Amino acid sequence: MKAEMRQKLARESFEEKTRKVAQLIRLAKTFPRRPRPTHAHPQGK
Amino acid sequence: MATDPPSDNLPLAEVLRGANGLVAAGLIEDWALGGALATIYYVEPFTTYDADIFFIPKDKGLTAGIPAIYAHLQTQGWQVEREHLLVRGFPVQFLAAHGLTEEAVREAERIDYEGVPAKVFRAEHIVAIAASVGRAKDKARIEQLLQQADLDRTYLENVLHRHNLRLPKL
Repeated sequence: MKAEMRQKLARESFEEKTRKVAQLIRLAKTFPRRPRPTHAHPQGK
Repeated sequence: MATDPPSDNLPLAEVLRGANGLVAAGLIEDWALGGALATIYYVEPFTTYDADIFFIPKDKGLTAGIPAIYAHLQTQGWQVEREHLLVRGFPVQFLAAHGLTEEAVREAERIDYEGVPAKVFRAEHIVAIAASVGRAKDKARIEQLLQQADLDRTYLENVLHRHNLRLPKL
């Protein structure tokens, strides 16, 4: 994200920012991060 | 485990009201919001899963009055889950302040959040506390505050000097 956009977000009201945190939490629960696939060790097969 | 709060916002006003209630009940001397949510007061929002309330205990004993605090908040409908109290499923930690964090509570900025009077750590104290802890996420927090918050550099230097701290190399 561009620095100006980040700065603009930083200048929003605290109430607006906590609303965005709540949205981020909901998104994280809806789309949980998948663990990265690991390469199997050749000797571990 | 925690469930989503039903409203579109964090139940932060309820958290702050609860902390004010502890002062009114004579259980703590003072308090302020610290941690990630205090950082978000100054920078762009990011994901965090709890609120950290730093308090100056009235009870100077080993438990810092935590059992009485938990008991009081439970009578107000808060729930307990391990080390966290929960407000509408949102975890809140009450941390006894001392040294640098006690200073941060005493010198915290007064704010109004959805009509609730509250205090939030000054950005300079958040930087100093992060410098004292020094994990990777603390370095990231310092970098973010240096870029996005209007820091009082003289005030920050003074806090760092008095607590014998240095900013990490970023």
